[in-house]
Amino acid sequence: MPAARRPPRVAASRPVLRVGRFVSLPVSSRGVAVAAIALLVLLAVSVATLTAGRLGLPLAGLLPALVSDPGSAEGFVLSRLRAPRLVVGIAAGAALGVSGALFQTVTRNPLGSPDVIGIGIGAGAGAAAFGLLWPGIVPLPVGALIGAGVAIGLVWIGTGRGFSSPSRVILTGIGVSAMGAAFVQYGIARAGREEATVLAAYLSGSLASRSWQDAAIIWSSLVLLLPLALLLGTRLRLIEMGDETADALGARSNTTRVLSIVIAVGLSAAAVSVAGPVAFVALAAPQVAKRLARAPGAAIVLSAVVGAVMLCVADLLVQQAPFGVQLPVGVITAAVGGVYLGYLLISEFKKGTM
Amino acid sequence: MASILAAHGLRLAYGDRVVVDDLSIRIPDGGFTVIVGPNACGKSTLLKALARTIKPAAGEVLLGGVSIHSSRSKAVARRLAMLPQSPITPDTVTVRDLVGRGRFPHQGMLNQWSRSDEAAVAEALIATSTDGLADRLVAELSGGQRQRAWIAMVLAQQTELLLLDEPTTFLDIAHQYDVLELCARLHEAGRTLVVVLHDLTQAARYASNLVVMHDGRIVAEGPPREVLTAELVAGVFGLPCRVIDDPETGTPLVVPLSRARLSGRAPAPRAAS
Repeated sequence: MPAARRPPRVAASRPVLRVGRFVSLPVSSRGVAVAAIALLVLLAVSVATLTAGRLGLPLAGLLPALVSDPGSAEGFVLSRLRAPRLVVGIAAGAALGVSGALFQTVTRNPLGSPDVIGIGIGAGAGAAAFGLLWPGIVPLPVGALIGAGVAIGLVWIGTGRGFSSPSRVILTGIGVSAMGAAFVQYGIARAGREEATVLAAYLSGSLASRSWQDAAIIWSSLVLLLPLALLLGTRLRLIEMGDETADALGARSNTTRVLSIVIAVGLSAAAVSVAGPVAFVALAAPQVAKRLARAPGAAIVLSAVVGAVMLCVADLLVQQAPFGVQLPVGVITAAVGGVYLGYLLISEFKKGTM
Repeated sequence: MASILAAHGLRLAYGDRVVVDDLSIRIPDGGFTVIVGPNACGKSTLLKALARTIKPAAGEVLLGGVSIHSSRSKAVARRLAMLPQSPITPDTVTVRDLVGRGRFPHQGMLNQWSRSDEAAVAEALIATSTDGLADRLVAELSGGQRQRAWIAMVLAQQTELLLLDEPTTFLDIAHQYDVLELCARLHEAGRTLVVVLHDLTQAARYASNLVVMHDGRIVAEGPPREVLTAELVAGVFGLPCRVIDDPETGTPLVVPLSRARLSGRAPAPRAAS
């Protein structure tokens, strides 16, 4: 009697969350563990942000202060000074991290991130244009979105073949970045001295004196766009293998790329409109997340958490380190980011991907 | 002969440069079709059009009688798989992960890793003898192993049609035959194969249906024994040759003529009759 055909014996590959027959989601245990640790770090940084320094709340008084009257001293520090700043910082860092992860995946290059290819400075230029040169036409966040849209449009046109060639996107983007910077300088030159000072601080990226309105803008963008980014996750993994492979698998690389870029530009613009074009976070957070997760594909959730940690740590540093002046947070991220960008350029050049 | 995959009146162009014009082809079901032709004859372009990764400027590709470009892309990918000539290997992907990605057309938003996905991946790993490599990084494999992993990825798609674009390029000769033997086994197991190859002798040895292209047109097609003649090779590739029986398989074997002998600089070998 012939033996019944046995199912192939290859060890089961990965933990899967199954609910009935119709829900099955692969779970990366390492990914979950890393994300949990990163969230704990974020919590620690948040507590430090609220409690450290001269005006800091005592650790024991933190919970009562959350529910206390904003009129009281503790309530004022919390609800006016530290909390909005922290809440905006978390969401802006997360938005930048996700935006970077999306851009880097669709361009298949760590340098294809929004701050290298001019999206950040474009959003800044948009904010400058509609905040200073022609105020009152559209709200600042919309101005930033328009600026970011114009920048990505210029990159698209400038490459001559859309986003299919990463090195072209990066080189064109560096040019667009320079144009954005020039426009911003023009705005500063045109503005009055006081406005120019405010704008200069804003344009290096700052979380100082944020309002709850800023928090609402960035959190609503994040709540809207992050799930859309997650939905694209599987298709983005396929784009990693080349457009042709992705197309053959039915993942429609062009549509996926365009949708990803729209979402990434939206997230970038929202972050820039509340925190200014903070450098480095969008570039580095996805790379750190990728190394922590040790898995291929865009680690979207982890990039968000790592981005939030990075921005909040940098902001804690500018608030508490003795620099003598209140530096904008973007100065720290740009200083660290410059070194990292140099490292990336050299390593990509060695790999021959540039 | 029945054809699930066919094309008619195809015009394929990159921008203004027309590579293929008014081409029609029927892929025999259950056959092992090999497309050959000189460089830039449009064979890879034709394969891409059949796999709907490029859009024809005119004409259409039919899959089961329905235009492939108006069908849902995932539905097409459940019937037709294609491995491009040089897919990009992601940095940190293991063989098992790579093969798992071939399951994309069978997955939904909530159903991302069903038991049939698991089974299909296991089967594909075994069919390509890559099960022992499942947890290795694809980037660290040798060329031959990596190619088998990629073929496993398209096998996991579990399609009736399998299109491979020059799967033997960049491999040494032993690994080329490994890949071709694997193709032959898949063909025997009932899949319809369409493969672009460079080597005429390999094409003749494995194909059940040989398609010869030249300047964007199909100049001959049919069983290799009927199609592959010295006149055809001379006309299409510009290579004077003799076509003899392969002593191993009896299929046509292309032996280029010695240029030195043609110009009278070398004596005829003794064995020649």
